[in-house]
Amino acid sequence: MHGLLLALAGAPVPAAAKAFFRIAPSRLPAVDKTAIEELVLAWPLKDSSILSEFRSQGYHVWLQCDAKDVAPAVQLAERSTLRGLIVTNAAESKQFPGQELGSYAATHKNLAFRVLLSGGKQPQMRGRLVVERDGILQVSSPSTQPWLDTNLAVVRLGQSYPDSAFPLMYDFHWTPPETPTGTSYPDVEDYALAIAESDAIRSDVVIDLPASLQRALVAGEAESWSLWSKVVPYLDFSSHAPMANVRPLAGVGVVVSDRRASYEAVNLMARHNLAFEAVRSSGLTAERLAYWNTVVVFCPLPAEAVAALRGFAAKGGIVLFVNPHQKFPWHQTTPLRRESHLTTYAVGAGEIVELGQPVIDPENFARDLRRLIGPQRSVLALWNSLTALAIPYREQGQSGTLLYLVNYSERPDNIQVQVKGHFTGVRLESPEENCCVSLRFVERNGFTEFTVPSLRVAARVHLDFREGSTAQ
Amino acid sequence: MRWPRSVAPASLSLAMLFTTTVRPSPAGAYVHQKRYAMGTVFEIVIYDEDLSRADAAARAALDEAVRLDSVMSNYKPDSELSRMNRSAHGEPAPISHELYEVIERSLFYSRISGGQFDISVGPVVDLWKAALAGDSPPSAADQAAALRCVGYQKIELLPPDHIQFHSDCMRLDLGGIGKGYAVDRMAELLNARGIHRAYIDSGGSTIYALGAPPRASAWSVRLRDPSGKLHPQILLTNSSVSTSEQSAPSLLRGDKPGHIVVPGTGKPLDTRYAVSVKAASATDSDALSTTLLLLGPTKGAALLKTLHGVSAIWIDSDGRRTVAGESVAFHLAGENHAAGISDSSERTMEAARGRKGLRP
Repeated sequence: MHGLLLALAGAPVPAAAKAFFRIAPSRLPAVDKTAIEELVLAWPLKDSSILSEFRSQGYHVWLQCDAKDVAPAVQLAERSTLRGLIVTNAAESKQFPGQELGSYAATHKNLAFRVLLSGGKQPQMRGRLVVERDGILQVSSPSTQPWLDTNLAVVRLGQSYPDSAFPLMYDFHWTPPETPTGTSYPDVEDYALAIAESDAIRSDVVIDLPASLQRALVAGEAESWSLWSKVVPYLDFSSHAPMANVRPLAGVGVVVSDRRASYEAVNLMARHNLAFEAVRSSGLTAERLAYWNTVVVFCPLPAEAVAALRGFAAKGGIVLFVNPHQKFPWHQTTPLRRESHLTTYAVGAGEIVELGQPVIDPENFARDLRRLIGPQRSVLALWNSLTALAIPYREQGQSGTLLYLVNYSERPDNIQVQVKGHFTGVRLESPEENCCVSLRFVERNGFTEFTVPSLRVAARVHLDFREGSTAQ
Repeated sequence: MRWPRSVAPASLSLAMLFTTTVRPSPAGAYVHQKRYAMGTVFEIVIYDEDLSRADAAARAALDEAVRLDSVMSNYKPDSELSRMNRSAHGEPAPISHELYEVIERSLFYSRISGGQFDISVGPVVDLWKAALAGDSPPSAADQAAALRCVGYQKIELLPPDHIQFHSDCMRLDLGGIGKGYAVDRMAELLNARGIHRAYIDSGGSTIYALGAPPRASAWSVRLRDPSGKLHPQILLTNSSVSTSEQSAPSLLRGDKPGHIVVPGTGKPLDTRYAVSVKAASATDSDALSTTLLLLGPTKGAALLKTLHGVSAIWIDSDGRRTVAGESVAFHLAGENHAAGISDSSERTMEAARGRKGLRP
């Protein structure tokens, strides 16, 4: 994304996420039946006559194209009064400068432009085994823990570009089913999870609607409509997400320059529910630092950023440098601790830790980082919830917290949650429960603790704070 | 609500690297399913001519793992184990046949290991799991208080279906044997449904192989190797292998909390070994892997001389290994392979590792 996004200005985070559905250029039932709002068609289109039918049915239609194809695609989109363009992999191919996309946006003001992040994957809970088509089994992960494929790290790293003017979104392709007796398209839980994850990350997603399902829906096949009717509540739930101006509630800042170099470590931080934001070194502002208690640095820093982090540590923050190759001012002091790969410096009320090697084991790194941060500095923690992702947000200027929960396991689970802070009410909403059901909670050691009962796929928990009220 | 507890199950970092099937199956007639239970992912692969039957059998077996989780979970307050842990102090409490059976087997291993395997060590383990999750290491006073609750001799089984704790703070944790027991029950269930070529994996820490894949004499399993030098493998047919290894030391904090605790001292085991144990049943391999890690190779090898049909390999981070037991079960790089592991399968496996990089 580098070339494109660095050149653009103003990184909007969606007020609410939307699920776009990528379809084959053929008929689809009416919008009031599918509950789909946004359709995506891949460029090039052999026959564009279908576009007018989609529009007449009430769909918002987008064209997805590579950066090199924007010129012809934008002409068709303009001519067909489509909603806009989704530009794929624009910067990594370096075939399309950001300024050029900006100029298209300036001259085609009735079209919206979005940029598709690369690296998205089907959200799922994975096991260890991969069964190849030829019957060979392999191990996919050395971890004995449930492995969650999430898109949180992809999106947060994408959002780290401070200058991205166009909304970012991600996509993925369905993994073929491993059980040959299964259906030829994803199950309800697959769609539900993809929609719920996008909602929780608050980033739009492009989901493939398999051609076989599209045809079956058009043909009115009962089985396919039975499936889709169970997907619709998740689309409804996602579309009714709170629209307020929120920002991720994060205690950890991650400073990156090369997404690939830091991806695995950041992915595992996400997997372990370490609430974080990612920024470039230029994003290390005093305002940003004020939100965090820990900063993890994966890239070289300019002198002013180093000074800012030294000041951050002096006030009690923890700064962790991963494999730094820089001279820092604190090297002139005696370290608090020095081991083969680790040097720790006391700086004011805080500390600076230098890990003298890259992250070799991201799983262990994430665990270790949680330990380094300690429970009292953590924004949230889950207990016995290895298959759940929890992402907290805070409405700007408000004291309440909005917590999104996603369960990647196919079984409902009771999710026990600790959220830092004092709240006067805890309310739950989910596709199964209209807003809102009050949850019992207790306060302990500065945290509010509650259990989300039987979380199926998605839930939002509103942690309210009202002056003058007391906890239950 | 039971804070603070670590989310990590007993098999925290038991990374058993694995690849299987001696050669590709051209038929490709298999079912692969997975389910989250007992804090890990259970997976089943079944080769069968009738895929509908295989599909139904895999679902039933995974349902069984989930059901046993509700019996033996120490995380779920409404599990049978949790209820027993609240009610068996000072007076006999009724328990199910399966809970009785797994506790009885646990006590057997406690006795033969001189208390190294001890399902009553849970209160101490919990302290260190909390440290793994980010809490400060437990104080000496906390350790002493938890240690007071430990001792398998204070567990009394009253046939046929009662149990009594002779300690007011005893609490049992089946993390060292429960998954193995579940795997055995799953294998029984598959057998009863006419499935004879299956592979059951509970998060890599315990594996049971039923029969062999098509056109192969056994399932070939790659084992955990902390040194990365030996590439150990084992052939399994109607048998099980389990691996135990202590949690990795903290790089950022420089300390060594761990989920495997020495019952006598109440402190995390300090070891560089990973141990893999082959046994006829998953219950036995699971319990013995923890036991033999705690005993170490010298005492562990001595113990194995008293057991029938069990083999074990200890490998340390420098590649030093000790093999013990009745049969020569383990195959290391550069050494002769048993029938069934062909050179071509080795190449396939290595290529697969290169492609996948062993990390998603």
